[in-house]
Amino acid sequence: MAGKVYDVCIVGSGAAGGTLAAHLARSGADVIVVEGGPKVNTRTAFNTHAMPFEFPNRQIPTMKPGVQGFDGERSRGLGGKTQLWNAVAWRMSQRDFKGRQHDGAGEDWPINYSDLAPYYDRIEREVGVCGNRDGLEDLPDGIFLPPVPMKCSDKMIAKGAEKLGVKIIHVRKSTRSVPAPRTDWTPARPACHFCGNCMAGCDVVAKYNSYDVHMIPALKTGKLTLQPDSVVYEIPVTNENRVTGVKFINRSTMQQGEVQARAVVVAAACAQSSSLLLMSKSRLYPNGLANSSGHLGQDFIPHFTGGVQVFLKELIGKPATDDEGYLDHAYIPSFMHNRKRGYARSFGVQFNYQNRRSVGWARSMPGFGKQYKQSVKDRYPAFVVMSPYGEMIPNRESFVDLDWSKKDKYGLPLTRRTVVWKDNDWALFKDMNKWVVNIVKAAGAEVLSVSEQPVTNHELGGCRSGNDPKTSVVDANLRSHDVPNLYVVDGSVFPSASEKNPTHTIMALALRLSDHIGEKAKKGELA
Amino acid sequence: MSDIQNEVNGERRTALKIIGAIGTTCAFPFSADELYGQHVHEAAKPPAPAGPYTPVFFKPAEYALVGHIADLIIPQTETPGATASGVPQYIDNLVSKNEQHQPLYREGLALVDSTAQSKFGKKFLELDETRQIELLLPWSEAVDRNKLTTPGAKFFKAIKSMTADGYYTSYAGLVQELGYKGNVALAAFPECTHEH
Repeated sequence: MAGKVYDVCIVGSGAAGGTLAAHLARSGADVIVVEGGPKVNTRTAFNTHAMPFEFPNRQIPTMKPGVQGFDGERSRGLGGKTQLWNAVAWRMSQRDFKGRQHDGAGEDWPINYSDLAPYYDRIEREVGVCGNRDGLEDLPDGIFLPPVPMKCSDKMIAKGAEKLGVKIIHVRKSTRSVPAPRTDWTPARPACHFCGNCMAGCDVVAKYNSYDVHMIPALKTGKLTLQPDSVVYEIPVTNENRVTGVKFINRSTMQQGEVQARAVVVAAACAQSSSLLLMSKSRLYPNGLANSSGHLGQDFIPHFTGGVQVFLKELIGKPATDDEGYLDHAYIPSFMHNRKRGYARSFGVQFNYQNRRSVGWARSMPGFGKQYKQSVKDRYPAFVVMSPYGEMIPNRESFVDLDWSKKDKYGLPLTRRTVVWKDNDWALFKDMNKWVVNIVKAAGAEVLSVSEQPVTNHELGGCRSGNDPKTSVVDANLRSHDVPNLYVVDGSVFPSASEKNPTHTIMALALRLSDHIGEKAKKGELA
Repeated sequence: MSDIQNEVNGERRTALKIIGAIGTTCAFPFSADELYGQHVHEAAKPPAPAGPYTPVFFKPAEYALVGHIADLIIPQTETPGATASGVPQYIDNLVSKNEQHQPLYREGLALVDSTAQSKFGKKFLELDETRQIELLLPWSEAVDRNKLTTPGAKFFKAIKSMTADGYYTSYAGLVQELGYKGNVALAAFPECTHEH
């Protein structure tokens, strides 16, 4: 197939792909982003402001009627999950990169905090992260916009936490708390106006998404090509051990096509990245591309969350307030990592991000009739969800693989996740729920429910980065140990998860990778 | 006035509306070239009154019974109750699309009437409200104790859950009763200034 050969082909357009694409294009490389989903217009595509009673089944669909996108794993849309994320943005700490040195569990990263710190700085300056400088050793400060004030309910919980010696801080988010003027490489953005549920899409782009903030401004370089609606199913490799680009299926026409490039970066959202490499079988790599270690898809370490639903007694029977906007405003950072405990690693607690348009807990109020109706009304302003997030230790029974018995509409095998929690995970899970219950009780709360099972969130691992080619898939620069012009960047490269929401770190990794690949492109060393 | 003139005036009105909203509700930066910050939030409106509804799954007598039980669960107070908020339509819509729910409701509603007959010698809807509540109470108490061992308790849990879901996602339930206030633009988030 004769045609253009790009310097770099990036599979996926989310936090990783979008950040990387913009910076590579700005550095002068010829970049193409191949995205499985369609182009979506952030301002008009999402049902951001819909109310449940507009729909007969009372479920608010993600997209407006007739708008495509986000209809399945392989076809989300330009911007990927950053369109619907909650924008929580933490820096990981040195402990997070070298956890094994502290407690002997899991695997260390091949890089240190100091390697990534300059890139966290640059991302924060570029997109804007609001927060408070708290001076915590385990949650490094950054370059922050002013934090958003806490809710009344946050301060009540903070008081309870304080009694147990636990500190509550302002949440840090990639959502503007002050407007951004237009710059050469970033659009003008308004400050958040607290209208509601950030995870239903932010139609004014006060919240970061990679399409509007990174990719659209980079289009004016003339170096960036966006190719949506193209589901990548294979990365071909030559007998000389070089990848040549990607093969894709058009999601509407079902026609197959090919993009050629001197280097390929897989940034397809963690489990999907493992899955694409596993599907790319060849004579050189019969068990999946870049899988000489046998670790591809292994070391899958999503976060697990608990969940405690409570009513703050002080707010029962009070008038409802408008505190839905921006979702959670506060956070309980990890505190167990330097206390005595019976397990490795730690947890942090996100809380108070319930959507006020959903009142599912009303089912569990006792009785019926006028009294029942009154008790729901009284508790509506007092309802708070606490969600602790814990770090999972990798084990051989938790992995991503392909389910060839189930195929999607493109004829591709489904991505299968298998997660088994081990003793350390269970001990951490039980302890984090116990701490949360004690904190809310100290704050004066009725506990409605405590989850009994961990639930996965924030997928991580599968293409672990490491120095040893026998136990990792990519190296410290996120380059495949096996194939010199193949890279992976997204949550899949995390050797250990930390308890912190990963996206900010994924963006910093993507920016660091853009320096590495950009350098090679300039020297003509890519293919 | 020509069509073109109409269109121009219409556009101008829209522009004024947008600028007006920005000017009065919050001070957004106005970046004309990129259209960021142009946003009008309209307050939640009650849905247009629905026409007469013909149930898809329930027979007329069953449908009347569903509505009556839903109103016993969430009665009218200063705000509308379950039936006036469209809960029976919501339940019919869900049950008609879910085969697992269908026998639960068909048999559950029959059980309501047969229990009424055996206990009080009348159909459920012919009883006064005190008797109706007396009949449902043991089922409700079993649900509250999470003892779902009897068909009555199973049925009551299903209809109570759906009534709660349907009511608190309706305009009457969410906006009028609970006082949902979100989905509007705030110039700043009101900082908590109370002594907690």
